[in-house]
Amino acid sequence: MDMECDLLVIGGGMAGLVAGTLAAEAGLSTILLRKGQSATAYSSGAIDIIGYLPDASEPFSTPEEGLAAIAGLYPLHPYSIIGYVDGIKPEDVVDEIVGRTRDTITWLKEKLKDTIAPLSGDFKSNIFPITILGTTKPTCLVQKTMYSEDLQTREDSVLLFTGFSGNADFNPSVAAKTYLEDRIAIGEPPRKVGHCTLRVSPFGKPYNVSSVEIARHLDHERSIEDLATQLKPQVEQLGATHVAVPPVLGIKTAMDNKKKLEDQIGAEVFEMLGFPPSVPGLRLQLALEEMYRTNGGKMLVGHEATSYIKTEGRITKVSAKAPRREMNIEAKAFILSTGKYIGGGLSGDENGIRETVFGLMTVTDAYHSAGEIIPSRYTNRIAISPEGHPINSCGLTLDPHFRPINEDGVEWASNLYSAGAVLAGYDYSIEKSGLGVAAVSGFSAAKHAIDFIKEVA
Amino acid sequence: MCMSDSEFDVVVIGGGSTGTAVARDCAMRGFRTLLLERDDIASATVGTCAGMISSGLKYRSEPDIMKMCSTEVVHLNRIARHIIMKNPILTPFRDLSDVGSDMEYVESYSEHAEERDVPEMMFLTPEATIAIEPLLHPDVVFSVYYEEFFIDPFRLCLLQALDAKRHGAEIKTYCEVIGFETVNDVIQGVVFYNRITGTTEKIGAKIVVNAAGPWAPKIAGFSGAELELRLNKGAHIILDRRVVNVGISVKALDGRYIYLFPHENTTLLGTTALDTWEDPDSLVASFDEIEYLMRSIETYIPSIRDARIIRTMAGVRPLVADWKVPEGKVTRGYQVIDHENGLISFTGGKLVMCRHMAEAVTDIVSKKLGNDSACTTHEKPLPGNEADVDVEALSAEYGVSMHALERMRARRGTEMTKILELTKDHPEWKTTICTCEPIIEAEIRYAIREEFPQTLNDLRRRLRLGTGPCQGTFCTYKAASILSEELDLQGDDFLVDILDFRAERWKGIRPSMRGEQLAQEELAQGMYSCVGNLDQSDVDYDLKPWEEGV
Ligand SMILES: Cc1cc2nc3c(=O)[nH]c(=O)nc-3n(C[C@H](O)[C@H](O)[C@H](O)COP(=O)(O)OP(=O)(O)OC[C@H]3O[C@@H](n4cnc5c(N)ncnc54)[C@H](O)[C@@H]3O)c2cc1C
Ligand SMILES: Cc1cc2nc3c(=O)[nH]c(=O)nc-3n(C[C@H](O)[C@H](O)[C@H](O)COP(=O)(O)OP(=O)(O)OC[C@H]3O[C@@H](n4cnc5c(N)ncnc54)[C@H](O)[C@@H]3O)c2cc1C
Repeated sequence: MDMECDLLVIGGGMAGLVAGTLAAEAGLSTILLRKGQSATAYSSGAIDIIGYLPDASEPFSTPEEGLAAIAGLYPLHPYSIIGYVDGIKPEDVVDEIVGRTRDTITWLKEKLKDTIAPLSGDFKSNIFPITILGTTKPTCLVQKTMYSEDLQTREDSVLLFTGFSGNADFNPSVAAKTYLEDRIAIGEPPRKVGHCTLRVSPFGKPYNVSSVEIARHLDHERSIEDLATQLKPQVEQLGATHVAVPPVLGIKTAMDNKKKLEDQIGAEVFEMLGFPPSVPGLRLQLALEEMYRTNGGKMLVGHEATSYIKTEGRITKVSAKAPRREMNIEAKAFILSTGKYIGGGLSGDENGIRETVFGLMTVTDAYHSAGEIIPSRYTNRIAISPEGHPINSCGLTLDPHFRPINEDGVEWASNLYSAGAVLAGYDYSIEKSGLGVAAVSGFSAAKHAIDFIKEVA
Repeated sequence: MCMSDSEFDVVVIGGGSTGTAVARDCAMRGFRTLLLERDDIASATVGTCAGMISSGLKYRSEPDIMKMCSTEVVHLNRIARHIIMKNPILTPFRDLSDVGSDMEYVESYSEHAEERDVPEMMFLTPEATIAIEPLLHPDVVFSVYYEEFFIDPFRLCLLQALDAKRHGAEIKTYCEVIGFETVNDVIQGVVFYNRITGTTEKIGAKIVVNAAGPWAPKIAGFSGAELELRLNKGAHIILDRRVVNVGISVKALDGRYIYLFPHENTTLLGTTALDTWEDPDSLVASFDEIEYLMRSIETYIPSIRDARIIRTMAGVRPLVADWKVPEGKVTRGYQVIDHENGLISFTGGKLVMCRHMAEAVTDIVSKKLGNDSACTTHEKPLPGNEADVDVEALSAEYGVSMHALERMRARRGTEMTKILELTKDHPEWKTTICTCEPIIEAEIRYAIREEFPQTLNDLRRRLRLGTGPCQGTFCTYKAASILSEELDLQGDDFLVDILDFRAERWKGIRPSMRGEQLAQEELAQGMYSCVGNLDQSDVDYDLKPWEEGV
């Protein structure tokens, strides 16, 4: 089977779906291939822009501050690429980067407004939501169900950590203790916390109750009322002003559920940031896909880009494989947003790191070729530290148009763009920048691709 | 210093296979016994071994040792059958000339086969060989078939320690011996640093047994005695699933034998043998060791690289100090050295001999202290091996899957019913915490209450927690919560436990990072750093020996 379009996006996580939506919105015929799961769906669903500089210990209080620092220190960071505009004055570079990021965030917030994952927070400041471990982390936007207006500012706030019996993903007593110790150490509210455990048994069994099962259960009518009945006396007993629940409030009806719960128990309810399998991550993935389709994009799930044809410096066709069919897709431009090791954009063995679709040049954190590195040598001895592991900064490096470059430093193909975690030069885990880089680079790559397609046409 | 007037007949230093066996024997013979272990039970050498309680096949030049090994296998099968598995093994050959030189081992193996209840060694045709193990190279010209037993080394040590406790011994983990009290050069007491309380303590001892494995010379040195060992490094690679149907033992690139053993839910590839002078605490497998093992096995199992390496482990064999011979020629026997100052040390030995070693040293202790009760360690069952367990019936009664219960049985035998009883009051404790193994919450709670773990790593040794394909990515935080709750830990300690466990897992993952493991590690970083923000945690985290340096 053969298909034709203006833009083919390879990869359906945050980066690819943002890029595809922007193109579809601009009126281009757009096809997107997604072979399987995305890191986006594993994420906690909070959208980080930039939390820390690598190896630094003070979080940025605003994304703007962080972007300025990145632009100054890491000229090849995906955020910094935005600043390479023809004829730009040096003093305008940071503004350009900040402006593009703000535009992306504003645009994304608007686009997700009516989906199952509407966003709260804004570009002006970083926020510090609570995780299921009882720690906090800097991020910029969270889904509305995950947001608390005044928990950490209101002097008299009292927080009730609520878990579910048989759900091992979250332990309310341990999280409560960990969080309270932290608040006492920094001397800020809430100064009182408590914990309780509720019962839901989606399939009548009191054990192995997964987060996704609870969320599906709460999507059903009246199950939230039952929860409210259990929760209310606990809230009253503690005098709780806020209730923290693990991220399980529903897949489709989470917003409604939050409101219903709050109405019935008289306290603010929010979801914490959690680990995969992540309900908010799933909501985000589904919402982004809906956004893409609503804007006219066409999506082929379970299709893997496997080979390509390149003539005269230009890609003309990409072949995709699905379990029962194979097809060639012709396009004017292509965006590669296949993610990192989880997404499958990069793979590595003892002989080096490879880009999986086009065999593009990969580089290390120091921008040396990563084609022949031994992965273990690009790791640190310490498992978890603000230095991270250089192996997670490997990937593709770009020209100012967001096109991957080859060994000579020029674009590998005139019509291939790239975005997201497949890019080199940043370690999202330590920077806290994952979905932010994916969205902003997706947005930027699409802008360049759209310009290119319009010029060609 | 905290002085204590308690006086022990015997103080055993070291909680590996040897030390726990000694403590058990001493306690069973009625001695007031104390075991001091600087870390956890089975936290050192024994935890890095293959767990093969072998027929002694490799040591056929030492017929006495082969005989001893075989007898010990019979004993272990009597006292600890619930933690033992039998593995068929194939040694395939691609070249007839590899075989001819040395066929005596067939005879020496078969000589003791009957007592171990295994068939005599057999020769198989290429067709029969490939039928048993289709992954083998098609050029195999014939193979040798035999059977060996494997024991869970962690459980063996722990059960020996628990049994010692049941017979009145005291077991103190996280207590590091730092010196002796002597009068006229004769030991009167043992001085140790208690890492849990942060205090230095002293207890009186009539006799001290030095079962500190590779650290034995250091302990001997504290008493003014000299002791020499030949330390020899061995590394293993662990693959994510049971790659082969049976154990495969082949000639490596340098002519030594290496093996590929299906082990629990994984496969073990080993081992290397390198004389070492490094600190055993900071040892990790090297790139060369990994490639040596992979390339060697690849000559017989060409598709080996399709499997994912989930980690490596490296340990040090505390061999008898025979020099000027290759490692393989050093005696696998052990020596008991009486320093004549109240201290008795071991050199050499193996896991399979631990009970025998204990009997030998306890006989000496008995003579010295004038006690003539006989050794019964080869007769009395270890905890859990008192009777058979009907896993099917238990599964029906308690509503836990057969698979999970079979794994539980392999750790605990009859004691598993105590765990299942807990789920009557707490059905939610049937929740699976580690899905790779699998392990349910009730077993974790039981282990915390009954088996004195202090950390998640201690729980790992007791339960195989976090040892499967995901290397604890998904169970670390869940199990840490349970541990915190049971031990009533502070929030900071909860986070330290997570960091410590990730550090220990990373030690083994890092040297072999490749393939799908890159995605697995991205996930772990995504969880604990990106979301959990633990890379920024300000808790008091102590760097581990292998994390120091550049
Ligand atoms: C556990 C975890 C938690 C995280 N939490 C957060 C968080 O809270 N906040 C945050 O900002 N970031 C977070 N991140 C980081 C964030 O998820 C990623 O950085 C981001 O999702 C990357 O987006 P992406 O679109 O580049 O890649 P992905 O989301 O991985 O998408 C790649 C896509 O490409 C597809 N693909 C790959 N190869 C092909 C092919 N050949 N053909 C067709 N399709 C292909 C894949 O199937 C996938 O759909 C987290 C990451 C992890 C692992
Ligand atoms: C790679 C490898 C594979 C092997 N495979 C097998 C096999 O398949 N079959 C087999 O039979 N044997 C095997 N062996 C050999 C076997 O593992 C060892 O001989 C045996 O387990 C050693 O046990 P141990 O108790 O003497 O030493 P260890 O297990 O090292 O125990 C010594 C203990 O002493 C403690 N200690 C040290 N200093 C102090 C102190 N100051 N105070 C308190 N405590 C202290 C340590 O923490 C340690 O726990 C293998 C060895 C290796 C390295």
